[in-house]
Amino acid sequence: MKTILASLAVAVETGKRNDAKNLTQSLVDKGMAPLDIVEQGLVPGMSAIGNKFKKNEVFVPEMLIAARAMKECMILLEPLLAKAGIKPKHTVVIGTVQGDLHDIGKNLVSMMLKGANFGVIDLGANVDPSKFAAAAKEHGASLIALSALLTTTMPAMKTTVDAIRASDMAKLKIMIGGAPISQEYADQIGADGYSADAASAVDLALSLVGETH
Amino acid sequence: MSRQYYLDLAKKNVAFPIGAELVLKQRHDHHAALLDGELLGEVIADAARRFRTPLAFPIMDLQLEKAILLETLGVAVADVALFHFTTCPDPAAIGTVRQRLRHDPLTPRMRANNDALRHIATRTDLVPVGMCIGPVSLMTKLISDPITPIFMAGSGETAEDDAEIKLVETYLELAVTVIIESLRHQIAAGAKAIFIAEPAANKIFFSPNQLDAGSDIFDRYVMVGNRRIAALLAEHDVDLLFHCCGELTDAMLLNFTRLAPALLSLGSSRDLVKDAALVPKDIVLYGNLPSKRFYSEKLIIPRQVETIGRDLQAAMQAVGHPFILGTECDTLNVPGCEKEIWSKVDAIMRCTCGAPARTEFGACT
Repeated sequence: MKTILASLAVAVETGKRNDAKNLTQSLVDKGMAPLDIVEQGLVPGMSAIGNKFKKNEVFVPEMLIAARAMKECMILLEPLLAKAGIKPKHTVVIGTVQGDLHDIGKNLVSMMLKGANFGVIDLGANVDPSKFAAAAKEHGASLIALSALLTTTMPAMKTTVDAIRASDMAKLKIMIGGAPISQEYADQIGADGYSADAASAVDLALSLVGETH
Repeated sequence: MSRQYYLDLAKKNVAFPIGAELVLKQRHDHHAALLDGELLGEVIADAARRFRTPLAFPIMDLQLEKAILLETLGVAVADVALFHFTTCPDPAAIGTVRQRLRHDPLTPRMRANNDALRHIATRTDLVPVGMCIGPVSLMTKLISDPITPIFMAGSGETAEDDAEIKLVETYLELAVTVIIESLRHQIAAGAKAIFIAEPAANKIFFSPNQLDAGSDIFDRYVMVGNRRIAALLAEHDVDLLFHCCGELTDAMLLNFTRLAPALLSLGSSRDLVKDAALVPKDIVLYGNLPSKRFYSEKLIIPRQVETIGRDLQAAMQAVGHPFILGTECDTLNVPGCEKEIWSKVDAIMRCTCGAPARTEFGACT
């Protein structure tokens, strides 16, 4: 099993989705618990590519191709996880703010968070500010993540933070990111954290929900 | 027009932002102006004069060609911004799009843009500059996740192997078709130069590792379409002004120089002084002040803009490369931050002659 898990991690890291799917199926067939496959096969693969991304050894395309490989494995595993009654410890609501249609960065963060065993409620792009708090309440989320690519849509990020703070989910942790965003901007609008890239977003999310990484 | 015009302009030590939208948004009737070619032409001329440039840059609206394509394919106007294709169109669609665009071509916004070009060409002494998104950038606006199929295609998979690669290649071809027709209309309206904005031809969409390993994907997906554009412009004696504000490798930059643009506009992630060694001396470099950060006083202050600008001008002069100081992209209007942004635009203008940006073109000597 260890050899197959190691191969699975490599398949995810290198984005070989067919290999990753086959290896996942083979581990399921051998009776390995789905959560163990996620934690010992998929997560190490995504962590490996994430670390390379942080060191500028790989780029966004390699991250996305790895995320896709993992996603296809998760399609096999999610029904089994649900059947076994296994739920993620933390849930994050994520979306690109109103007026902004760009979702590549958000999708990447979303996949990385799933890889770190967060439950992810993805609201998509161009999301109305009121929907974040409502979704967080509905799904019992402990974190909200906001993305914006354009300077022109950054004010919508503040509007969204204000809407969350004015709701009955006011104490929820909020993290933000996107090309024009900075720590200064996060401080300015009252967000709890800022992440410069998708790999760092996982570290930030874990720290905001009080988990060590 | 000739590239000598831009070389001469660079010798005059001019500095200007791409900022017609900033001027437009100062008007109470800015929504109406976008649909009124005469009024829009006046705004563009006003912007050129206030920024003391003879080049009348239009509004940088990179959704226009997407709107044309979608409306031609029957997508409702209200859905254009959010719409992404998930299936390929009928194989005859490319021919249909080309035919329709030739005869009843344009959306109201594009008609206004072209009327504005006519206004500049016939009623002012400014250079009418057209604007168009580049093919790969347009394709990325038509599909929700183009990066993964681009990478797969770069790894040797084909449209026959994967439906998403087929989607990318089909809409890339349609993007080129729409752009070529848009350019024909802009040229007919009097454009003497066209600014091709290709921001997606960068390290986010194209893996440098894959390109270093020998993949030809950048050439196939970026350069083939842009070579067709460059050839069309050359055929009509219209100058190519090429823009990419994305993060680039040196190899990507070298590819752009092979299009032989008269002016090459780059983002603030590039070191233009180093780039001068890669770019032929008959291509004017333009840029690359960090205008995406102009909205915030915490990210950059006017004095820094002026210092960076003057240092860059001096450094480019020292390396002997023709250069025009400007912004890394369109100086977008951020609601609520107008005063902050204008203070930095004025800082750019002071790099030329010490005067802020509201005097008439030619007043500064």
